[in-house]
Amino acid sequence: MILLTIESFLERNQNLKREELDDIIARAKERSLLIDKEYDAFITLNDNLAVESKGILYGVAISVKDNICTKGLRTTAGSRILESYIPPFDATVIEKVKRAGGFIIGKTAMDEFGFGSFSINCAYKIPKNPNDKERVTGGSSGGAAAVTKAADFPHIAIAQSTGGSITAPAAFTGTVGITPTYGRVSRYGLIDYSNSMDKIGTIGKDVFDAALLLQIIQGYDPRDSTSIKLNEESYIDSMNKEIKGFKIAIPKEYYDYNYVDKRVADKIMDSLSKLEELGASFDIISMPMYKYAISAYYIVAISEASTNLARYSGLRYGLQKQLDSSLTFDEYASIIREQGFGEEAKRRIILGTFARMSGYRDAFYLKALKIRKLLIDDYKRVFSRYDAIITPSMPVIAPKIKDALSMEPLKVYGMDIMTVGPNFTGMPTISIPVARVEGMPIGMQIVGDHFNEAKIIRIARNLEKVLNYE
Amino acid sequence: MNEKIGLEIHVRLNTKTKLFCSDHNNIKNAKPNSNTCPVCMGFPGSKPVLNKEAVRYGVMIALALNCSISSKIFFSRKTYFYPDMSKNYQITQYEIPIGREGYLEISNGKRIRIRRVHIEEDPAKILYPTNDLNTSEYLLVDYNRSGMPLSEIVTEPDFSDKEEVREFMDKLISILEHLGVFDAQADAALRADVNVSIENGERVEVKNVSGLENIERAITYEIIRQRSAYRLNGRVERETRHFSEVSGTTTKLRAKEFEEDYGYIFDPDLPIVKLSDELIEKIKSELPELPDKRIERFIRSYKIEKSFASILVNKDKQLADFFEESLKYYNNPESLAKWITTFLLKSLNWHKLRINQTHVKPEVFALLIRSVDENKISDAYAKDLIKIYVDTGKDITDMIKSYNAINKEDIEKIARRYIESNMKAVSEYKKGNIRAIDFIIGSILKETKKRADPKLVKEIVIDLIDKEEASVAQ
Repeated sequence: MILLTIESFLERNQNLKREELDDIIARAKERSLLIDKEYDAFITLNDNLAVESKGILYGVAISVKDNICTKGLRTTAGSRILESYIPPFDATVIEKVKRAGGFIIGKTAMDEFGFGSFSINCAYKIPKNPNDKERVTGGSSGGAAAVTKAADFPHIAIAQSTGGSITAPAAFTGTVGITPTYGRVSRYGLIDYSNSMDKIGTIGKDVFDAALLLQIIQGYDPRDSTSIKLNEESYIDSMNKEIKGFKIAIPKEYYDYNYVDKRVADKIMDSLSKLEELGASFDIISMPMYKYAISAYYIVAISEASTNLARYSGLRYGLQKQLDSSLTFDEYASIIREQGFGEEAKRRIILGTFARMSGYRDAFYLKALKIRKLLIDDYKRVFSRYDAIITPSMPVIAPKIKDALSMEPLKVYGMDIMTVGPNFTGMPTISIPVARVEGMPIGMQIVGDHFNEAKIIRIARNLEKVLNYE
Repeated sequence: MNEKIGLEIHVRLNTKTKLFCSDHNNIKNAKPNSNTCPVCMGFPGSKPVLNKEAVRYGVMIALALNCSISSKIFFSRKTYFYPDMSKNYQITQYEIPIGREGYLEISNGKRIRIRRVHIEEDPAKILYPTNDLNTSEYLLVDYNRSGMPLSEIVTEPDFSDKEEVREFMDKLISILEHLGVFDAQADAALRADVNVSIENGERVEVKNVSGLENIERAITYEIIRQRSAYRLNGRVERETRHFSEVSGTTTKLRAKEFEEDYGYIFDPDLPIVKLSDELIEKIKSELPELPDKRIERFIRSYKIEKSFASILVNKDKQLADFFEESLKYYNNPESLAKWITTFLLKSLNWHKLRINQTHVKPEVFALLIRSVDENKISDAYAKDLIKIYVDTGKDITDMIKSYNAINKEDIEKIARRYIESNMKAVSEYKKGNIRAIDFIIGSILKETKKRADPKLVKEIVIDLIDKEEASVAQ
């Protein structure tokens, strides 16, 4: 069968007959079941597929990362502690997708609460990379990327990133991921990991798909005080404009970093020539603050995470046990948390609690916040002269699952070198596949200044047209 | 004796909605857990949205307590595990409160310094089946209260005794009521952590004491306990204690080295709030008349004594309002102030009621006092009526109107009758036993059903006996 792009599907979806729509839904359901069987990409499949309105997404299946609340549909954030949790409300992005005519196909696999770079810290199944089932999908939005890669029906994924969780799986699977500016998309209904960095974004098969869904889910929301009032931009309208005269910054530190696979760095450098052909120019620059980004990012992330996870104590929702009057509240909560959280969640709770304890708070948490400020200044300095920064999306190609499982935590954290900078400072990024190494896709990450999504989408779209990556 | 007392006072702000969600704030008698939503229940994915009205209230309080106002404020997460905490962290203000370095002056001229004023969310309400933490096998949690806005007002340890504390608290509550930010009748409207230390002793904190009366009880108990601890051990340990309302005593919760570490971080869901000079000036210019100014005005405009004015205003704002309302019906400030601050207040205190919890109406009260002043009603009867009015809430208008104070001639007639039929008592009286005629006076009062003024009756009786003697002597 011929795989239809969503761009071409949208030319006819408004004229679909009821039976045709029913066929599309039935097929999406059947294929999702197979994809799950093959790649363990879903945590929950939606049994009640329904299109609620005839909008621009009419007939398009939307998968949702499992840390985004869906009313009446189980939402676990990839954790046992929320194994039976059925939210009483829809996240704002879900309301928007439903209003636009999309239907929620299921909830995708992820690292528990987003704690991971490979989607191997999973309380349920570990999702497999459709390019090579022995390899990781990348994390933490691994299920979202795997479904996107494997789907042979009109589908776009809602994903989410805190420190690189959209870029990493997009790069490892050969899909396109957009991480918007912090504040561009409402977080209402997103189960918190690190609230000052969490961003809901999209993963699509191509730039068009990812940009289209972002256009639909973006916008100010009074229920999220950190969402920003802006004129909502049409990325679809502007993305085909040429990029002649664009100035690109290539920060050398990111290409020389010790975990970077030379082959990956070289492929990215190679594809820069395509940008020159399109009329853009680039300079090698220096961003010396980059080396503080990972430590500072992790301190802030785990400090916030350890408070966010405090609410899971076996009351009101989530994992519960028979009450026993011989247990104190603390003892009961400890049993629930011992059983409900996985190893990485426990590690981050302990480290995060430590980093904000009195006596350490100044040295870790508060200092990390100061570093964030300096990093933002660093980026702003670059963006005063350049339209975008380009780095590899990930320093390596997707590792084998068995290798990833035995990797030291510090090395795993090091895998985030490319992504934590922009994520920590709230800059928008897009990752597009540009080449393959050992048959595995590698991604290019294009970073823009705050609220410059249109610009980086435009660069990605122009590049995508000339790359012929597949 | 050199006690130092400091307070961390939590007052419920009477905004329309809770601090971070749109649930109602002023609910009474609601079913448990009926006034809740995903935000105040701490459901995953929910996000707090700041209630600007509460910030405004916080600024008003800080201004009224002579604080300097921060130009920017933000919120922090105070993390600790407790069953009443929906998120196991409380959203509060840590580094930079709304107001700092204020004071409130009490009548001896002392300024009680205010360290800080900030706003924060209230946890849920815990219900113990046996009403006691130690004997209950389980507890129930009612989240209706979760997320209601509180203002925390922290004083320096400037109080020397509980009388100063009581006066300060009365005045503070009156200020809050004049600002219109506080409803004293709301559930758990007022709680305080009480810090007490005696000379040479460490600071002891008594947690979460509810209501004015218990605050005083806790202070009294702590001072006695610390003094005897000091006599016995030569020292008072620094610790945190729990106050039992049932026994009026405190028990040790934890020693200093086991103090909670709250691991404060900035709440990343809530952006910084800027309090511009213009905004602060605007709030300042819109502040209502505050107690000190109102007392001055009462003295100046109504020519009443300072002691009456202070009681009217500082005891309870409603009492001052009642006074001014009554004046509309009877323009005699001196008389009304006297009656309100004495007999009316006495009846209210007896029942531990505030004026707005009774059915006492200013127009009826004014009529009563006018009738007294016009000698239509005796003082004694008026006191009875006030008592009945406060007790039962029954409209006493008819009782006032139908009552005619008995006139002098009528009293004389009745008095003659009792004198003639009690000649033995009269002769006793004449012999110098002054109390012998009490029975005659009592009988007359009884017959006139308090319509006669006792003083007048006594005068008449003595006068008649004297006259009679004079006529016999002739």
